[in-house]
Amino acid sequence: MLKIENLHVRVAGKEILKGLSLEVQAGQVHAIMGPNGAGKSTLGNVLAGREGYEVTAGSVSYDGQDLLALEPEQRAAAGVFLAFQYPVEIPGVNNTYFLRTAFNAQRKARGEAELDSMQFLKRVREKLAVLHLKDELLHRAVNEGFSGGEKKRNEIFQLALLEPRLAILDETDSGLDIDALKMVADGVNAMRDPARAFIVVTHYQRLLDYIVPDVVHVLADGRIVESGDASLAHKLEEHGYAWVAQRRVAGAA
Amino acid sequence: MEAALLDELGGADTPERAESWRYSRNALRALAQLPFGVADPDAALAPEVCAQFAWPQTQGRRLVFINGRLSGAHSDLRDEGIVVADDAATIRIVDAARPLHLVHIGVPGAAATRWQTALRLQVEAAQASLIEQHIGASGAELFAVFDLRVEIAAQAALDWIALSELSEQASLLRRVELKLAAQSQVRRSDALFGGRMQRLELGVELAGAQARLESRGMFVLRGREHAEVRLDIRHQARDCACDVLWRGVADQRARGIFHGGITVEPGADGSDARLSSKNVLLSALAEIDTQPVLEIHADEVQAAHGATVGQIDERALFYLRSRGIPLEQARRMLVAAFCAQALGAIGDGGLRERIDALAQARLPSPDAAQ
Repeated sequence: MLKIENLHVRVAGKEILKGLSLEVQAGQVHAIMGPNGAGKSTLGNVLAGREGYEVTAGSVSYDGQDLLALEPEQRAAAGVFLAFQYPVEIPGVNNTYFLRTAFNAQRKARGEAELDSMQFLKRVREKLAVLHLKDELLHRAVNEGFSGGEKKRNEIFQLALLEPRLAILDETDSGLDIDALKMVADGVNAMRDPARAFIVVTHYQRLLDYIVPDVVHVLADGRIVESGDASLAHKLEEHGYAWVAQRRVAGAA
Repeated sequence: MEAALLDELGGADTPERAESWRYSRNALRALAQLPFGVADPDAALAPEVCAQFAWPQTQGRRLVFINGRLSGAHSDLRDEGIVVADDAATIRIVDAARPLHLVHIGVPGAAATRWQTALRLQVEAAQASLIEQHIGASGAELFAVFDLRVEIAAQAALDWIALSELSEQASLLRRVELKLAAQSQVRRSDALFGGRMQRLELGVELAGAQARLESRGMFVLRGREHAEVRLDIRHQARDCACDVLWRGVADQRARGIFHGGITVEPGADGSDARLSSKNVLLSALAEIDTQPVLEIHADEVQAAHGATVGQIDERALFYLRSRGIPLEQARRMLVAAFCAQALGAIGDGGLRERIDALAQARLPSPDAAQ
């Protein structure tokens, strides 16, 4: 589904990703772990199409098409979703209105019929129940005045509503207490599907106790330096990221 | 001609007045080149112009002026709560079941024309409401000067919506003087759209203790439109309050100016003065200047002001796009939300929707060239 080859990305003149390669199949959950500054968030932003990220080499192919050639809204319509590390507050834009506009814009772009307010609201209610979110959040402006946990749950709520095929979760666990973490994990697990893939970017292993990944990658200094199964996350938690760096040095010698 | 026009509009009588024209002098100078004739007060109204003001909610309380003169044919005043003096220059609102709708229409002639009018409004009702609407129809150049003096009796309250919809050939200078007696309140919401040159001078005297003014407003400009808003709010008595919140949007080569002057005079202790002016530029050639000016000569005053000119928030724009909303639609959503901050006070749903639609119509459309 997703194939990243030798990706080099520069941000503000500084090279952040230095030859990252990654292949994700439909139905898989990949976790990307790594120390601060390794380039984890850069990866999510590049895949979603944020401006200011200059791809200097490499390619990203999604369902056989060049993902990097698409505008952010085209990527969304094609099924790519980024759950933001820092969801943006948008005063004056009602949350329900925002969600319906996004939902219908994606359907329109795919040539599908748009939903009217009644049909849309029915769908919203179903998804709200899964994430234990209060109705009241729908009547407020997008993320405005939401607590940290509410913002993250709102991201996962959008994920549930928009039903993307490739979901990238950028440190969705940061700032969450254990109950919120479980709700987020439940929401993601309910969405796991043979046709859908997840890339879960996280600093800590804790989230991966609840969302058990198929593959774990360690991202350090702009490339993937180690890949393994779910047990790799536990080893990292035990030994720290320095352990990976040492193994690399040992392997190189 | 130019010097005469500047003199006539009060620009040259004091250095302060002349300075106040600093940003609009060029626009005025360009107008002064035109050979203006006198506008015809018997001009016929096109059906689409009539549709702009014929709102069901103001039936029976509507006064329509064409090129400065009251039109008996188009006005519709059956309400006893409104008293119009014989010369139609003074209007009293003594009872207020529904809003009084004042409509001023500029109808262009074959060549450039101008008109000028002055009105006085006395508000004696506890809860009055007023819709002041200016329409500048498209056609030849048209320049209107509108003077309005409003007096609010003690303990009276006025809810006031002022809307100007001008064509690119229409210019309008409004000089509004508002005086509030003790414990009276005015809530004014302005929406300015279009105009070759429009200038709103709003002078407010908070003359009685505990008088309160809330001023909300927005201008949305494009093309080569030019609009200036000048507020001159004077706290003259104890415990008065003003709360000013304006939003400005300029696209293409449009020019907006906001001057928010608040003076707390000696003895006006216990004043509360708040001013916020935020502005968004949608193109590199658009320009907005904003100047908050607070002068405080009293004690125990609470004052806060903030003014910004910037672009659309890129982070918010990316957030919307990342959810599938196309760029132009996302921009419109953000600008509409920005403007909505200034229109929150308008309770009348129908009117609010109408103003929203006018603002939307002036934002870049999805198929407009970038």
